[in-house]
Amino acid sequence: MSNWTRGKRRETRENEHENGSSGPSRWSHCRKRGVDGSLRANREEDAGREKGVHPDSRNASFTTPEGTGPVSRCGRKADWGSQVESDEMKRDVHRDMQRYRRRILGAEVTQRERKISSGSSGSCDSKEGEHIETDEAVLLRRQKQINYGKNTLAYDRYIKEVPKHIRQPGVHPKTPNKFRKYSRRSWDQQIKLWKVKLHAWDPPTEEGQDKVLDDIEELGIDDVMDIELDFPDFQNVPASLPTHSCSLGGEDYYSGTPVKIQKTETTVQPDLALWK
Amino acid sequence: MENSAEEYRIQSLDMDTQMLLKTALKDPSSVNLEKVSDILVDQSLKDQVFSKEAGRICFTIVQAEANQNNGNVFRRSLLNRLQQEFKSREETRAHSLQEWVCLVTFICNIFDYLKVNNMPMVALVHPVYDCLIRLSQPDALMNEEEVDCLVLQLHRIGEQLEKVNGPRMNELFYLLRDGFLLQEGLTSMARLLLLEILEFRAGGWVLSGTAHKYYYSEIAD
Repeated sequence: MSNWTRGKRRETRENEHENGSSGPSRWSHCRKRGVDGSLRANREEDAGREKGVHPDSRNASFTTPEGTGPVSRCGRKADWGSQVESDEMKRDVHRDMQRYRRRILGAEVTQRERKISSGSSGSCDSKEGEHIETDEAVLLRRQKQINYGKNTLAYDRYIKEVPKHIRQPGVHPKTPNKFRKYSRRSWDQQIKLWKVKLHAWDPPTEEGQDKVLDDIEELGIDDVMDIELDFPDFQNVPASLPTHSCSLGGEDYYSGTPVKIQKTETTVQPDLALWK
Repeated sequence: MENSAEEYRIQSLDMDTQMLLKTALKDPSSVNLEKVSDILVDQSLKDQVFSKEAGRICFTIVQAEANQNNGNVFRRSLLNRLQQEFKSREETRAHSLQEWVCLVTFICNIFDYLKVNNMPMVALVHPVYDCLIRLSQPDALMNEEEVDCLVLQLHRIGEQLEKVNGPRMNELFYLLRDGFLLQEGLTSMARLLLLEILEFRAGGWVLSGTAHKYYYSEIAD
C-alpha cells in the first residue's frame, strides 16, 4: 500500500489526532510546507514507512494517514498560535454553515416550484436542509482534512488551471461537501479519492506520473465508483447522473453495487497532457 | 508597493533590518518569518515608540503571508513568542519597568490590530486583562510610567475589551477606584490620569466636551 500525501504544516500537524504514518512520503515534494512549517524548496525525500494496520484493524488505506500519530492535544492547544488558529477555523466553519443553509433553502424552494410546474415526482426527498451535518467536532475535523488537501501545490495548480465553470463532475476533483451527512468511512474515503485525483496536478518530478497510476492500481480503485461529491446542481435534474440524488440521507456508498464506474487512469491521462 | 520606513516607524532599526522587514512585507515567503517575528518583538521591548505602533506592521505581514500562500507561520511564531514574554512578565517587570511597559503596550497593540475575521483574538483577552490588572495594583500605581501605560491602553482598546469581557473590566475598575481613593503616595499626575480614565469609561469610552476641556485644554494653549 502506498502512502498518501501526509504531513502538512507543522501547525496543523499538532492538532492531528488520527492515526497515521510518520516520516516523509513520496509526495512530500508536492507539499507546500515542510515539517518545520517553512515553505519547501525542492527536496529529495525518502519514502516513508508503510503503516499496514491501524490499531482497530482497519486497513491502512482506510483513513487519511495524516499527521504523526496520536498527539496529546491538551498541552498543544495552550499555545496562543494554536488557539487563534482553531478559533479562526471554528468561525470559518460557522460562517460556511450559514452560507450553506441559505444556499440550500434557496435551492429547495426552487426545486419544489419546478416539481409542481412540471408535474414530476422527484426520485428522492429533497429536504436536504434536514440532513445537514451540524456537529462542530465533525465539521472541524472534516475542515482540517480538507485544508490538508488544499495546502498542496497540486491544489494550487489545479485551481489555477481549471476554473470552476469548466469543471466537469467526475472528471475534475471536487472538494467533498462537509455539510452532508456521511458515515465516517464514507467521508474518509471521499477525501482520499479527492486527493488521489488532485495528484494529477502534482508538479513534475523525475519519476513522472507513473507513480500516481501505480498507486491507483495498488489501491484497486481503477474501477472506481465515481461518487458525485458535489452539492446537487438542481439545474441538471438527475437524468444523466443517477447516483447523486440518492446520496442524501447519509447512505454508506460501500454497501451496494457501484452505480457509476469510471476508470481513474483515463481521467488522469488527459490531465498529464496539461503539464508543461 | 512602497512602504516608507516612517509609516511603520522602523527608522530606529538598522538598515539591514529595515530591508528585511520591507521584504517581509512584499514577499513573505522569501524570508525567515520566525526571525522576522523575533526581531519585531525584540525591538518592541526596547523601543517604546515602536511598541505603540508595531501592531500595524505585524498585521500587514500576517495579511501578506495569508494572501501569498495561505500561510500563518509569522502569526504563529509572533503569538508564541509573545506568549513566552507574557509568561515571564513578572521577572521582566522586576528588572526593567521600561521593558514591562513596552511589553504591555505591544501586547495591547497586537490585540488592537491583529483581528481574526474582524474580531479580536480570543486567546489574547485574558492576557491583556491580566496585564492591565497588574498595572492597577498598588505597587504599580506608584509609578507614573505604569499608570500612564495603563490609561493609554484603556483609551485605545478599553471599549473593545469591555465588549468581549465585561466582568473583568468591572474588576479592573474596582481596583482603579480603590487606587484613586485610597492609595497613599500617588503623584498628582497619577491621580489626574486615574480620574480622567474613570470619567472616560463612565461616559461610555468617550470624554464629554467639558471634561475634555478640563483635562486637555492646557495642551491646546
